[in-house]
Amino acid sequence: MAFYEHIYLARQDVSAQQVEELTANLTEILEANGGKIVSKEYWGLKNLAYRIRKNRKAHFSLLNIDAPHAAIAEMERQMRINEDILRVMTLRVDVLNDGPSVMMQKRDRDDRSDRRPRH
Amino acid sequence: MAIKNLTSVQARRPFQRRRKTCPFTGSNAPKINYLDVRLLSRYVSERGKIVPSRITAVSAKKQRELAKAIKRARFLGLLAFAEK
Repeated sequence: MAFYEHIYLARQDVSAQQVEELTANLTEILEANGGKIVSKEYWGLKNLAYRIRKNRKAHFSLLNIDAPHAAIAEMERQMRINEDILRVMTLRVDVLNDGPSVMMQKRDRDDRSDRRPRH
Repeated sequence: MAIKNLTSVQARRPFQRRRKTCPFTGSNAPKINYLDVRLLSRYVSERGKIVPSRITAVSAKKQRELAKAIKRARFLGLLAFAEK
């Protein structure tokens, strides 16, 4: 099926735990429509470059999805209804990058800048 | 005046005056990714505008990719549309 890179921003005053639940029920929606989540990443609360719906920070999370378009359409419809989600971006990609995304790598490099990052 | 030959390491530096080489072609060139804010912000002015390729010496094909990545990053709030 098609590969999608999906990023969504959750409201600032939603707890990280709730974001995990959000991702969990997104997974359910996808599985119900015959798709699946290949990998997911949670980057935590990050500062936004500009205010989005009065929020200065947002919870970022990335989902690598392998699903038919119907599942994606349904998932996006649900997300549009949900008030906790500020912004959604789904990109169709030819190949999903399996390693950690750039956000995670950069964090590793900053923390252990002395040692070579082991993959 | 002999033109100084530039090693590949110097090709990493995007802002060059004399020999203009595209920082994204070549073997160890960085990949353009809309999540890599540090790389993208190097090609954005202080006001947050995309720097033209005639100044950063980026090839036209890579400049189009760069512009698309910057616009995606702006949509996600990773890069500002305009900075005071």
